Amino acid sequence: MNRFDQPEYRAMLRGVNKPARYTGGELNAVDKSASFFGSDRDRKVHAALCFPDLYEIGMSNLAIQILYALLNGDQDTFCERCFAPDFDMRDYLKENGLPLTSLETGTPLADFDLVGVSLHYELAYTSVLDMLHMGGIPLFNSERSEKDPLVIAGGPIACNLEPMAPFLDLILLGEGEEALPQLIGLVKEKKRQGLDRQAFLASAARLPGVYVPSFYQVDYEPDGRVEGIRSVHPDAADKVEKRLIADLNQAVMPNQPIIPNIEVVHDRMVMEILRGCARGCRFCQAGFTYRPLRERDRGLLFETAKQLIDNTGYEEMGLLSLSTTDYSDLEGLVRSLLPLTGPRHINLSLPSLRLDAFDFDLAREIAKTRRAGLTFAPEAGTQRLRDVINKNISEDDMIRAARTAFLNGWDRLKLYFMLGLPTETDEDVEGIVTLVRKLIAVWDDLPREQRSKRLNVTVSTSYFIPKPFTPFQWARQINREEMAAKQEQLAAGLRDRRVSLRWNDFSSSELEGVLSRGDRRLAPVILQAWQAGAYLDAWHEHFKPELWQKALEQIPGGAGFYRRERSPDEHFPWDHMDVGVNRNFLREEWDKATRGETTPSCYDLCSACGCQVYMTGVCPGGSMS
Amino acid sequence: MTDKKRILLFYRREGAAAWLAHLDTMRLFERALSRADWPLSWTVDAFNPRPELVFALPVGVGIETRRDPVGLTLADGNQAFDLEEAVDRLNRSFPKDIRVVDYQEEPATGKGSLMARVKAARYLLEAPGVGLAFDRTFSGGEPVVMTRQQKKKKVTVDLTPRLFAWQVGDSDQVTLTAGAGSTGHLRIDLLLDSLVQFGGLDPSAARGSRVVRLEVILDRFDPAQGIIV
Ligand code: SF4
Repeated sequence: MNRFDQPEYRAMLRGVNKPARYTGGELNAVDKSASFFGSDRDRKVHAALCFPDLYEIGMSNLAIQILYALLNGDQDTFCERCFAPDFDMRDYLKENGLPLTSLETGTPLADFDLVGVSLHYELAYTSVLDMLHMGGIPLFNSERSEKDPLVIAGGPIACNLEPMAPFLDLILLGEGEEALPQLIGLVKEKKRQGLDRQAFLASAARLPGVYVPSFYQVDYEPDGRVEGIRSVHPDAADKVEKRLIADLNQAVMPNQPIIPNIEVVHDRMVMEILRGCARGCRFCQAGFTYRPLRERDRGLLFETAKQLIDNTGYEEMGLLSLSTTDYSDLEGLVRSLLPLTGPRHINLSLPSLRLDAFDFDLAREIAKTRRAGLTFAPEAGTQRLRDVINKNISEDDMIRAARTAFLNGWDRLKLYFMLGLPTETDEDVEGIVTLVRKLIAVWDDLPREQRSKRLNVTVSTSYFIPKPFTPFQWARQINREEMAAKQEQLAAGLRDRRVSLRWNDFSSSELEGVLSRGDRRLAPVILQAWQAGAYLDAWHEHFKPELWQKALEQIPGGAGFYRRERSPDEHFPWDHMDVGVNRNFLREEWDKATRGETTPSCYDLCSACGCQVYMTGVCPGGSMS
Repeated sequence: MTDKKRILLFYRREGAAAWLAHLDTMRLFERALSRADWPLSWTVDAFNPRPELVFALPVGVGIETRRDPVGLTLADGNQAFDLEEAVDRLNRSFPKDIRVVDYQEEPATGKGSLMARVKAARYLLEAPGVGLAFDRTFSGGEPVVMTRQQKKKKVTVDLTPRLFAWQVGDSDQVTLTAGAGSTGHLRIDLLLDSLVQFGGLDPSAARGSRVVRLEVILDRFDPAQGIIV
């Protein structure tokens, strides 16, 4: 019977905000239920793709669309979606003893063969636990029986999911487009042969990119540092190699994405034009873990754009990448797309525009219909500190670009900085003030008739968070007192009615740092925080730092243990992961950073970071080199 | 003088689509029309151009429709537009729970705005005991006064004059004709509340009820008779 014909279901939908978050039924959503569950059920795989945040966030994520298209492209796989319910729906489910279910058919998570979690930020961990629990799946991998689904995770932060290790059966390291179908093949094999979980996990562990956390043993020093991590299973390699798509042109690009019926955060069509980054900003995890830079063919992007426009009806097209202007022929690409988008009233948006390649003619073309603000992300206030972090933007570049922008009618300026970067001093914080003042002076110096009426500057600051697989993985993260002092200094220097200052929340940044460089000892901490009520922690209004503070009391030293600087030879909880970039290279980068030396982009000179073994993209031997 | 072609579509929504808010429905129509490549006329506002698209009567979350009118205007120079073929295309561009079930061309001028033409609407309510509750609430013809929070102030409405006619199918089904649009609109959520409050309808039956808007009546309607004149 159709769910919508059931009074109980309608009563549930009437009991919550934005019920369309939970109903599915969007254009291009796949429902194979009519044909799928009949015969040969045991040769087919029923998968739930979970995103541990609200529908509006998850449906804005390209990875979800890619994996959905990829998995449903296989006749014998039926992939459904499930998102974290908002508090009202969660309460409703609890009060009525109902399980968390998939969007497409309303199936409880516990009834799937496979539950895959797409993990994009650490603050989603409690939501993962919640979804498993609400879906009727035992939380610990050790407690799951043969009838329970296999719980797998992947995504940008898969390079260190140690804090979640006891809750996951299997982790996919790197890009999933090739590995996931292989894994599905193994699940089919498991069903056909009636293999038990352990036998399946052993077969999966032999697949490159697959990490089975229960096959590894972690030993600790008396002070809590990791002494070593070793494989305790014959099929588990000492190091797990990340998966990488050598040729992006071969990877799935969804041209019939699901079109949400309600407004989501990024309500637009998206094309991923390149993957990886050539720059090597030393704080940026994705910039290293997605190496090497690879790009998609311009002709292929053009064809996909045509299909997307016809198939979606969206008003906006986003070109996605870590660093859009690194696309080797961005101007050519944009100029080829404008005749497609213009007549259909479609805005072309280019995120992560880099100043050093900012082309105003191009920007003007793009901004014809809508004038976005000008955004710079210098991250640090002085050239010295920008050299430390290897952020290649000079003050002159910014001043020149701002002047041109103001002369062309721009009147909104957005600046992004990080506080607490390694080696940062008071002068560097003061440097932010000076830089902002200089940019305002550019405006003031222009004759009135040559610029707009009123300037608006937004200065957004976040706190530096050291991340695994970056040169700063050894660095110390600042504490609350240091942060407060820096904030005060900045606020005092930037008292100007044209400037609005925005801060990130310190507690959640601190927690992100703890979890991202965390080890398995944090699993009980996450569990305790969740049991105490932590859920949807990435939402400022739902984040309850006191619950985490309490839970972290389990760890001697608490958050401070994870914030500390690591010694050069300390064993990291993520050392058994191989993401291509090797530890020696990162250490050299750290040493160069402390000396204020920069490293050229992969385009200019290969620094042999370790990814040369892939011989693809921008690396020596690759198509772009 | 314009020679822009004006069209009235009638759409049905059910299943998942019945749970969309009005703004979502509008956006969904805009995108479906764009996918189906309809040459809509756009408003001139350069900063936020929108296609010329008007819903006769916004529909609330949780209400199905059977033939709700949507008016739209085509860009200049589309006099020879093949409506039948375009509606086919449009129907293939909708998610599965929305379909255009009928359409007609409108005269280029006259008749006034679509929203002002709405006179009444017909609904079907389905819930255990709804028939009995309806009779108990309304058959005496006395005022049925409900209060509702509107922004900051409380407003009271008498539902009786807004309800023109009804028919109890069986005890679980009622069809009714009620005022709709800019004057004398009967809110269905308020009606269900009144059935709970005065007719003894089980609150959970009200929450689980099915509400279908069968028809939106345009232009000509005689409330006293409860019939289209
Ligand atoms: S091997 Fe060289 S070119 Fe390739 S990612 Fe590393 S530094 Fe860049």
